Amino acid sequence: MRSYQDMVFSTAVRLTANPAQAEDISQEVFLRAYEGFENLRTSPKVGGWLKTVATNLTLNHLTRHRKRWRLFSEVFSDDSREEELESAAAVFDTVLTELETDERRARVERALERLPDHQRIPLVLYHYEEMPYQDIADRLGISLAKVKTDILRGRVAMAGLLTQSGVGAPDEQRQRHPSPTRGTRS
Amino acid sequence: MSSRDQTDEKLERLVSNLLRDQPLRQAPASLETRVLGVLAARARLPWWRRGIASWPASVRVPVIAGCAVSVPLVWVLSVWLVTQLIAVVRSSMAAPLTTLRQTGHALGSLGTAATDVVQSIPHEWLVGGVIATALLYVVLFALVALGYSLLYPRHQISKVQLT
Repeated sequence: MRSYQDMVFSTAVRLTANPAQAEDISQEVFLRAYEGFENLRTSPKVGGWLKTVATNLTLNHLTRHRKRWRLFSEVFSDDSREEELESAAAVFDTVLTELETDERRARVERALERLPDHQRIPLVLYHYEEMPYQDIADRLGISLAKVKTDILRGRVAMAGLLTQSGVGAPDEQRQRHPSPTRGTRS
Repeated sequence: MSSRDQTDEKLERLVSNLLRDQPLRQAPASLETRVLGVLAARARLPWWRRGIASWPASVRVPVIAGCAVSVPLVWVLSVWLVTQLIAVVRSSMAAPLTTLRQTGHALGSLGTAATDVVQSIPHEWLVGGVIATALLYVVLFALVALGYSLLYPRHQISKVQLT
């Protein structure tokens, strides 16, 4: 359990952005693993199995608040301007090249936690779990276009949050990324 | 590829690099204690309060065999019970059903007799009867109208005189 508890907890906490909920989910994952202990003990895929169960349980937990998903899925359009994307890319470039590793990791983790659910969850599934867009759309019960838009907006919003936290923060960039929920018409 | 697509790709690559460089979050120290606590609590439960998969074989096999036997037994018992119930209902409803059937026969006979009587009356008589009935209604209506016109105004006048 000690070998995998950080991985299971990280999977849950990145999706929920709530350490208490993530701990509950991690506990459930390990209890299920214990039930199938005889099969898992000898399996080389135990890590993958735990990660899949952690992701599924977390998504089940999150999609209990399905009304919120549906609300957001009804209203969207990709209205991000190219300048915004370039500005966001510049912020991430600065973060990668100029910040110390520890500081960078802490800021990125905080920015990710502060993203709204409808942007953070697809973003985490895409970048951390390496799920394709279509799989994310199927799993969350939203359209493919909505997934793509949310991930794109999530990246831009994350750049905004990093800028707000003082990363390469000229005033004009602060104005470009005023809020993580910018562009959500609801 | 458009300039917008190139910017999209660049942004995706940068975010991927940034996020994949993130270390795992450290699980709370309480997690292991909690999991072990739940497992210990489950282990303390008596066998009959756990899932059947963890029951001792000496109990599990008879229970499964009992369940397997009870399925046809319950089926046979249900069929027998339904048969008995139908027989009881039939016997208790026999007397009222006979009375009902006899009443039906009697009403049927009366209907047949009435039909015979009507068919035995000459056609002209029936037409004459209908015309006579209509005439009687007309006469009755005329008498009522006459009586009303003669009696009601006088009654009204007498009331007016009294006041």
